[in-house]
Amino acid sequence: MKRLAALAGAAIVYLIAAWLVAPGFYDGFGPQQPYSWTCPPPQAGANTKPSSGHADIPVRNGTTEAYSVYTADGQIVIGFLPDSFDATGKTMVHVDITPLDTCPQPQGITFVTNIYRITADAPLKKKSNVTLLYSNLKPHPDYIYRADNPSGPWAPISGSQQGQPYTMFGSTDKLGYFAAGYIASTPPPGVVTVGGGQTLPIIVAVLIVIVVLAGLPLAVMRRRQSGAGAADDEEDGS
Amino acid sequence: MISAARSSPLLRAGVIGLYVLAVEWTRALLAHDSRFIAAGLLLGGMALGLAALGRPATRLGLGRSRFAVRVIGGLALGAVLLLPAAARSGALPLLPAGFAVVAIAVSIGEELAFRGALYAALDELGGAPLAVAGTTVLWTLAHALSHPPEFLGAVAAAGLLLGLWRWACKDLVAPIIGHVIADLAL
Repeated sequence: MKRLAALAGAAIVYLIAAWLVAPGFYDGFGPQQPYSWTCPPPQAGANTKPSSGHADIPVRNGTTEAYSVYTADGQIVIGFLPDSFDATGKTMVHVDITPLDTCPQPQGITFVTNIYRITADAPLKKKSNVTLLYSNLKPHPDYIYRADNPSGPWAPISGSQQGQPYTMFGSTDKLGYFAAGYIASTPPPGVVTVGGGQTLPIIVAVLIVIVVLAGLPLAVMRRRQSGAGAADDEEDGS
Repeated sequence: MISAARSSPLLRAGVIGLYVLAVEWTRALLAHDSRFIAAGLLLGGMALGLAALGRPATRLGLGRSRFAVRVIGGLALGAVLLLPAAARSGALPLLPAGFAVVAIAVSIGEELAFRGALYAALDELGGAPLAVAGTTVLWTLAHALSHPPEFLGAVAAAGLLLGLWRWACKDLVAPIIGHVIADLAL
């Protein structure tokens, strides 16, 4: 009964710990998803700077064509439907995608991708689809976020969901700043954060290690007291 | 050295612990170069399995008694390990098919090394509590180079769960099956 309770307790601890990081238990030996980082994590190895993107969308009969704009490294793609822009008086709409050269982490959200700024010289009339690539060097994101300013406020864009492996997509009716991330536990002011600010899983790991380490001296003492002949855990064989 | 390790439980546990850490960290460092990922994993899995060489199967928890129960236990462990990922809609990535063989090799190798040889050595040294605690700590340390820090809590908790199963059921078959299932899916 004691053993069953210990197993059940361990299963609950595992489920909580794994729930805190997506995808959960991950042994980390799939091929590393290539990603060009603005701020590479320590385990990223060699890194190349993320690319920018630009497109000139033709205007015919006062409406823009369907068009996809992406960065050279393909880490962000925005797809525009026909007549997506208010292109009155224009022959071309210019769209630019630029990776932000800093990595702000707003309170309550942990970004796992670079932040990209998407601008156009005409107002958007229709929703457009944003697709962001992410890496397996960080936990999987839950949403694509958008903001008018890198300092926020950031809000999830509608329909944010997983697409092809290691991509997220969603739709937006405004351009601005975009990044993929997940809701993080909010650390109180002054708390030292580790590993991109997601402190809770690390605390859980440390607590588990402390608890098991704390049991060691007790276990060794009990073992010594019970004598050398206590062969209590031998396989039943057959 | 070998005869000393055979006669001293402390030395034996220390040698096995250092060996599995060295193998795990080497394969993690090799994984930084995409050319060596698969080979490093395959060889790493085999090298980990060597840690159990020469030990009686029953002492590793690999007896054949109640085998069907052990297999069912393995399926249950696999289900628990995958539950958080499966519960996140659309967030379950599948391991590329080409990595299935190396995933199996590493899963079996890790279980033979940690819950097999290392567990048995620590059990002889300080009993089951030391074996469960020691394998959990070393398992977590072994993954420190291959995993983002955010994942180490889940790694430690998985190690504790598998180690407790090894203690509670005196069985390594189920941890191997559960670990293989989890690694094939993620």
